[in-house]
Amino acid sequence: MAAHDMIAKPAARTLEPLMSVEDLAVSFDNGSGPRIQAVAGVSMSVYPRQTLAVVGESGCGKSVTAMSSMQLIPRPPGCFDAGRIMFGGRNLLELPEHEMLKVRGGQIAMIFQEPMTSLNPVYTIGDQIMEAVLLHQAVSPDEAAGIAIKAMADVGIRDPEGRMRAYPHQFSGGMRQRVMIAMALACRPSLLLADEPTTALDVTIQKQILELLRGLQQSSDMGMMLITHNLGVVAENADVVCCMYAGRVVEYAPVTELFDRPLHPYTRGLFRCIPGLSELRNRLVTVEEVVADPREYEGLRSEAGPVVPWWPFMDQSQRPALDDPSRPYALVEVSPDRWVGCWRTPEVARHPSRPPRIAPA
Amino acid sequence: MATYLLRRLLLMIPTVLGITLMVFMLVALAPGGIGAGLAVQGGQMSDTSKVAQMQAYLEDRYGLNDNVFVQYARWLGRVSPLKFGTTPLVAPTGDLVREPRDLPEPVMAWAFPAPAAFIVQYTPPSGEALVEDFKRLQREAEGTRRTYVGSVRGVKDALADHVRAIGAPWTARLEPKGGADPERFRDLPLDGDAPTLVKLRAAAATMHASWSEAEAARQRATIAFLARPYPAAGIEIIPNAFSLGAPDFGVAFSRNRPVWDLIATALPVTILINFIAFPIIYLVAVPTGVLASVRRGGAFDVISGLMFLLLYSIPVVLTGVFAIGFLANNQYLGWFPVSGLHDSAAATMTFMPYTDAAGAWHRGWLIDMVWHLALPVLCLVYAGFAVLSKQTRAAMLENFSSDYVRTARAKGVPSRDVIISHVLRNSLLPLITMFVGIFPAMLGGSVVVERIFTIPGMGSLVIEAINLRDRELILANTFMISSVSLLALLLADILYALCDPRVAYD
Repeated sequence: MAAHDMIAKPAARTLEPLMSVEDLAVSFDNGSGPRIQAVAGVSMSVYPRQTLAVVGESGCGKSVTAMSSMQLIPRPPGCFDAGRIMFGGRNLLELPEHEMLKVRGGQIAMIFQEPMTSLNPVYTIGDQIMEAVLLHQAVSPDEAAGIAIKAMADVGIRDPEGRMRAYPHQFSGGMRQRVMIAMALACRPSLLLADEPTTALDVTIQKQILELLRGLQQSSDMGMMLITHNLGVVAENADVVCCMYAGRVVEYAPVTELFDRPLHPYTRGLFRCIPGLSELRNRLVTVEEVVADPREYEGLRSEAGPVVPWWPFMDQSQRPALDDPSRPYALVEVSPDRWVGCWRTPEVARHPSRPPRIAPA
Repeated sequence: MATYLLRRLLLMIPTVLGITLMVFMLVALAPGGIGAGLAVQGGQMSDTSKVAQMQAYLEDRYGLNDNVFVQYARWLGRVSPLKFGTTPLVAPTGDLVREPRDLPEPVMAWAFPAPAAFIVQYTPPSGEALVEDFKRLQREAEGTRRTYVGSVRGVKDALADHVRAIGAPWTARLEPKGGADPERFRDLPLDGDAPTLVKLRAAAATMHASWSEAEAARQRATIAFLARPYPAAGIEIIPNAFSLGAPDFGVAFSRNRPVWDLIATALPVTILINFIAFPIIYLVAVPTGVLASVRRGGAFDVISGLMFLLLYSIPVVLTGVFAIGFLANNQYLGWFPVSGLHDSAAATMTFMPYTDAAGAWHRGWLIDMVWHLALPVLCLVYAGFAVLSKQTRAAMLENFSSDYVRTARAKGVPSRDVIISHVLRNSLLPLITMFVGIFPAMLGGSVVVERIFTIPGMGSLVIEAINLRDRELILANTFMISSVSLLALLLADILYALCDPRVAYD
């Protein structure tokens, strides 16, 4: 194994997070219009063997955060405005391209939402997995083929030797996603970014894929960032949940506590939007409807005193007095291992809280 | 795959037939008809009857009096590799010799009864004497036939003169150009001794006399032909009924040379020029398109796009004339020759350049040709950059934003490899379509560039053929270019299957 892998991979069961995103801000050039602030002050962290679920609606900055950690954001038009992403003691946002090439695929791997289009149609499955192996491991092509076959067997592809020579169009969607996972895990990365890995798949395949990921994660001490819309997937697979809205983290908590007692009105709204099988509703509830009640933002008890949950569309007159109107937002630890995005009132500003980190038990 | 290829190749046959049929009909419909160009050249001939006889001869020779479908079937029969009827022979010169054709019937048989049919007794000699005899008889048959065809025309002209002399209502039956179709004057009274009528009778007598001569000559030539003075052409399967042979494109009447000879002289020139021009276009345009797509919106993208568009918008007529006027004209720069492919002294040149004992440099044949080709090739290439580089750029950009490119980046593939082995590899398909277009273009030649620089290539040949309505030459060209186009399209489909595993022909 190459030397850089030894340095970069933190030992398992350390109290240091595998990767921590700290106050990340990313914006995009919008031609003639104002810059689009895709992510504005996001913090989160992943530990080895831990699954961090990042939830939120489309466009809230989930994928941008994941892509930023691999420097896959095209720059321009993208731009890292602030913050850092620490991984193995280094800031991923500042790594030069040649260093980044070793991180991508080698130490951090990513699976994408669209298995149907995420594989190159003109190369065989074997070639594509072997490409990743040969890039990151000092092995001969024959050994790489062996690694690729083993990776395919690990993800449950039958007859991996024969399927090596198949092309992506000869695979079904679920099998392609397995290939993507085999490709991502062939180099045994310490962190896996799974960007909606099951969105395009039906529920049966979805369950298989998630069980597969969970099994592979347990056997390799890998940390995983699971980006998803699906709260059911979160409940079954995640250890820690990071709920995002409008480029900011609105709530960060262990999964059981979040599902038992969501604190932020937006998170509560999200849960109330899930249609139940037993109830009869003429129309589905939307987040706008459930978070429209001003009383939802009256305040939460926290160690620093009462905080008012942050909400971008809150009426100017109802906002609490802010410490610094140019920085209205803060992520505050309101109780042990519970973080809520709130308005940066003077009390909040005086009681800086620790960054969101929930170490595995 | 094999089944698919076979099916495609078989389907090409009706396609080529359809194309040639359409071109044949277009040529037949063209104003003035086939050979109109020759009639214009004949304008220098003062004697109008000579022009008429020349026309009658051409019409007979190319069978233009027949129904156009009959003419097409005849052409097809010659081009087809499956030959039916009497097997043609190959003269030592390489020319095909066919069985002498039957003579057209004498006209106006109802008024001037035709001489009785007769059978000539002739026993052909054997060996060398047969060849000599056949050559003589062939010339004789050709000459007497020509005279006879001219005399038939003479009868028609005399009839037209007579009708004009009588006046209305008969003149209404004349053809717009003033000619008379004898069949329309069956009920014309031919009694009396009007001067025009006397002339008509004399013309008919001449016609009958020359018919007898021509018929006798034809019969003798036919007997000699059937005695096989030369070996049979192609592979004879059933003697004088069915044989296999190479397509015969006939003789270009505007130059009185076999069409194939003309193409064989012009084609290498055009292929040579295109063989230099196309690689230049591809070597410049494809890398430019790739680089432009990599730095999309950057200075290189904008400047290269603008420059190529600028070049694309300059008409080649203008460039060619300016290039001759400024670069080739001795009054200005005089760097390049004005026209042609070789210097007039090229025949005496050595192939490679050398320096002689006196220290003088001789450019040699090769450098001389490159020097002559510089301006034509320049004119051919400059406008080609724009389309190809824009196509490459667009195909690249489409693939740059695709999901598998993101996957490749996420795997840690270096940028350069992402561009070459992932993006460019997937961008090949639209380029294949453009690539196979080269093949018919190589055969077609560039009419404008070849005309400007007086290069005797396919472009010049085709435009001349069209101007002179030289049917055989036009059809041979069409046949060749359409066949090559169809083969190129088949090649494209094969290349698609090779480049994209999703394409399969089963």
